[in-house]
Amino acid sequence: MSQALVELVREKFPEAVTSWHSHRGDEVITVRRENLVEVIRFLRNDPQTDMKLLRQIAGVDLLTFKSEMTGGGALASIEVPEYDLRKKPHVEPRYYVAYNLYSLTKHHALRVRVDLRSDDVKLPSITSLYRTADWWERYVYDMFGFEFTGHPNLTRLLMYPEFQGHPLRKDYPVRKRQPLVPELDFPDLIRGPGPGPGGAGVPMSQTHVGRHNVDPDAYD
Amino acid sequence: MSDHPRSLPILKPEKPEGNVPESQQVLGLEYEVPVLTTRLEESIGFFEKNLSGALGWARKNSIFQYPFVTACCGMEYMSAMSARYDIARFGAEFPRFTPRQADLLMIVGTINVKQSPVLKRVYDQMTEPKWVMAFGVCASSGGFYDNYATVQGADRVIPVDVYVPGCPPRPEQVLDGLKILQDKIQTQLHHAATIERALDMELETKKRSFLGKLLGK
Repeated sequence: MSQALVELVREKFPEAVTSWHSHRGDEVITVRRENLVEVIRFLRNDPQTDMKLLRQIAGVDLLTFKSEMTGGGALASIEVPEYDLRKKPHVEPRYYVAYNLYSLTKHHALRVRVDLRSDDVKLPSITSLYRTADWWERYVYDMFGFEFTGHPNLTRLLMYPEFQGHPLRKDYPVRKRQPLVPELDFPDLIRGPGPGPGGAGVPMSQTHVGRHNVDPDAYD
Repeated sequence: MSDHPRSLPILKPEKPEGNVPESQQVLGLEYEVPVLTTRLEESIGFFEKNLSGALGWARKNSIFQYPFVTACCGMEYMSAMSARYDIARFGAEFPRFTPRQADLLMIVGTINVKQSPVLKRVYDQMTEPKWVMAFGVCASSGGFYDNYATVQGADRVIPVDVYVPGCPPRPEQVLDGLKILQDKIQTQLHHAATIERALDMELETKKRSFLGKLLGK
């Protein structure tokens, strides 16, 4: 069933699909970045495929994958705090983004992959096709730092705005800790705007947490 | 004043010559405040101690806790609260779901960096006297969440009185932690703020009048 799906996409977009394989029963196709939106639009709208459900967008970092020098998991040890990209080899394209699509009527699934080189981590947004892609792309941006061009509000989803770096990249130091942050400003919906910059009463940004009594260097 | 017959000798450091460290300075004799005032202080101290003990007894047996439940430790909190383990036997009867009415903040679960301002705000909203229990290893030390998102122990945000280990802790451990906290509450000094201030003022006026009489002012 899914094999026929891959054949269908290959016939429709012979230039876009660069490779395809099956991983433990899941059909995977790798498409070029320029053709990503039209391939996914076809998969969503064509009555043969009818993939109305975007199950997940995932980012993957292959920095330590198949690397002879480090091997997987070596960065998890405390002895290797940082990965020096200039000295140690890594695979290119280093990243890929996987879109897991599913059809609720046909009951078939397909994974669409887009490879990204480490020097150019931009790819088109598919928020115009799937509403749920909004938060998934914000999540991938938060964890991996990929820029989804055309996204309406590409900000961090899980981490806080002051956070530096992207924690699921393999070169993010495992033991790195960042300082605690003050409370966010948010508008008071009941009492309306007040004298403070953030809303009524005392602005929340004045309630600093931990800045005085926590030493960020004390983590390591 | 130093030759007054009813004054006590107290030890004061002599003025050192040159740059002598404070630990090597020699103590010398000097005469100070009359004995009568010391007895008054003693009696007030006795009263304060008993009052503090009574307040401690009352406070340790009526701990209203605010459960700040963020993770799976909440299940063990429910177990400790409900009939089988029944934390109400130790006076911790009512969970108050507003920090303004609570004495004990129970941090039940993982605290991450994004959440720590909320925890700080909840702690600030509690009225004095207040105590904090870190419930489980995540609240105590971060537990096995040794990563970018988790605060490595709630004591990096607010002061913690008692740490209950376990992942999650057994209800018996929670009760044990509560007993330890009760001992702490009983033995610490409770200031009855208004009474203490009144006594201080009274003491000051009496001191002044005594000294005034003695010194003929």
